[in-house]
Amino acid sequence: MPSRPVAPLWRWTLPLAVGATMVGAWALASATDQFPRGTVPAPAAVARAFVTELRSGRLFDDVVASLYRVSVGFVIACAAAIPAGLALGRFAAARAAFLPWVNFFRTLSPIAWIPFAIIWFGIGDPPAIFLIFLATFFQVTLATLGASAGVPRVYYRVAADLGLSGRQVLLEVTLPAILPQLLVALRVAIGVAWMVVVAAEMIAVRSGLGFLIIDARNALRMDLVVVGMITIGAIGIGLDALFARLARAPMLRWGSER
Amino acid sequence: MTAAATQVPAMTLAGLGFSFGATAVLSNLDLEVYSGEVVACVGPSGCGKSTLLALLGGHLRPTRGTVTPTGASRTIYQDGGLYPWLTVAANVALGVPRTVDDRARAARVADWLARSGLVEFANHYPHQLSGGMRQRVELGRALVADTAVLLLDEPFSALDYQTRLSMRRELAATLAERPRTVVLVTHDIEEAVQLADRVVVLSARPATVRRVLTLPPGRPRAPNAPGVADAEQLILEELGLS
Repeated sequence: MPSRPVAPLWRWTLPLAVGATMVGAWALASATDQFPRGTVPAPAAVARAFVTELRSGRLFDDVVASLYRVSVGFVIACAAAIPAGLALGRFAAARAAFLPWVNFFRTLSPIAWIPFAIIWFGIGDPPAIFLIFLATFFQVTLATLGASAGVPRVYYRVAADLGLSGRQVLLEVTLPAILPQLLVALRVAIGVAWMVVVAAEMIAVRSGLGFLIIDARNALRMDLVVVGMITIGAIGIGLDALFARLARAPMLRWGSER
Repeated sequence: MTAAATQVPAMTLAGLGFSFGATAVLSNLDLEVYSGEVVACVGPSGCGKSTLLALLGGHLRPTRGTVTPTGASRTIYQDGGLYPWLTVAANVALGVPRTVDDRARAARVADWLARSGLVEFANHYPHQLSGGMRQRVELGRALVADTAVLLLDEPFSALDYQTRLSMRRELAATLAERPRTVVLVTHDIEEAVQLADRVVVLSARPATVRRVLTLPPGRPRAPNAPGVADAEQLILEELGLS
């Protein structure tokens, strides 16, 4: 049996309390020299580095660079994956031919493609965008296929009664019917894309949050590494919240409430 | 006056048969449905009642025989026929033919919402409504099209008893106001006898017509109306349930 929902006030204060406790424990461990020297920076050092990075504008530039790569790769992947998933759902022969390969490539870590990404696209945005595309495309294709297979047949019978054309059925029935389930898949996929961009930036580019971390490590600036980690986590939460909010739109809420 | 009295055929099923692969569902089914009458089809569970309706609605093609004509019709489904991403008003508006201009469409929707007492729910979504309200919206979407034929696939079976009774009355009143040819598929013998001019009893699969009962005029019939109990008894006997 599911437990009672948490009151709105607690929804904010509980995670903040957990975060404060973790930072407190971290500060205490640092102040009492519990960590080997130079391995874990003190919270105060991280806070100072954070302010310095913000003031210099470098942190902002890195965030923009990472978000740009994720956005472009994610949008291109979705633009290709949603029609591909719908086509696989519609045509049994296409499904038989391509589904095993979609599963094959889906299980390959995008990180494994890094050597090819660099050889094919060089250094800069394209290899990172390519890796984001790979991280997203196969997942979203499968999710679209699954969602379209689950559309109740009665919706199509109603559409036939109403005399909707093939295009109208696609735009006015299939797409809205799969949207709630698709949004859940996109929410997962954007999280994976965000993880992959950080990995890609550690190798294939000279900007972005991944590069910030690897560059800081090379300079033994562990305070900056933590600044990068906290920023990545915070943006990850923000992206997740954005998709969660989209799923609560009135025309999509039926997917979770009915 | 029941439309059966006018005897103008609206639909003719001649030697109708349908199979899913090797499984015969309907076999050699002959029936004429007259313009403006309500024909209820009852039969054992799984005998092919919904398949019959799908054939009448043009969603399936007969493997044998013919259904004529297969013109415009609207079907009300047992459950889940509304689009959950559209509001009540938008669902009803979808029923209006696309050839109708926006103003006339809005007027038809507003008229239906007012008559069905759903004005204040116009911007609600189906999952925010009760089962009875949802079926009323389904009915609205089917009726605003103003097609001559309505196909009802166990439309009230998911509703509680009281709501079912009230929905039967609403349907009968709507049909009294604007007669339409209706084929109602139901497992509820009481519903069939209360609403229909004729009741077609189907056999077990592959279904064929076992018996056609003509009921006395006037619908909806009260449970104690003349002929109702006898008709129910006859149907039960035909189904081997008495």
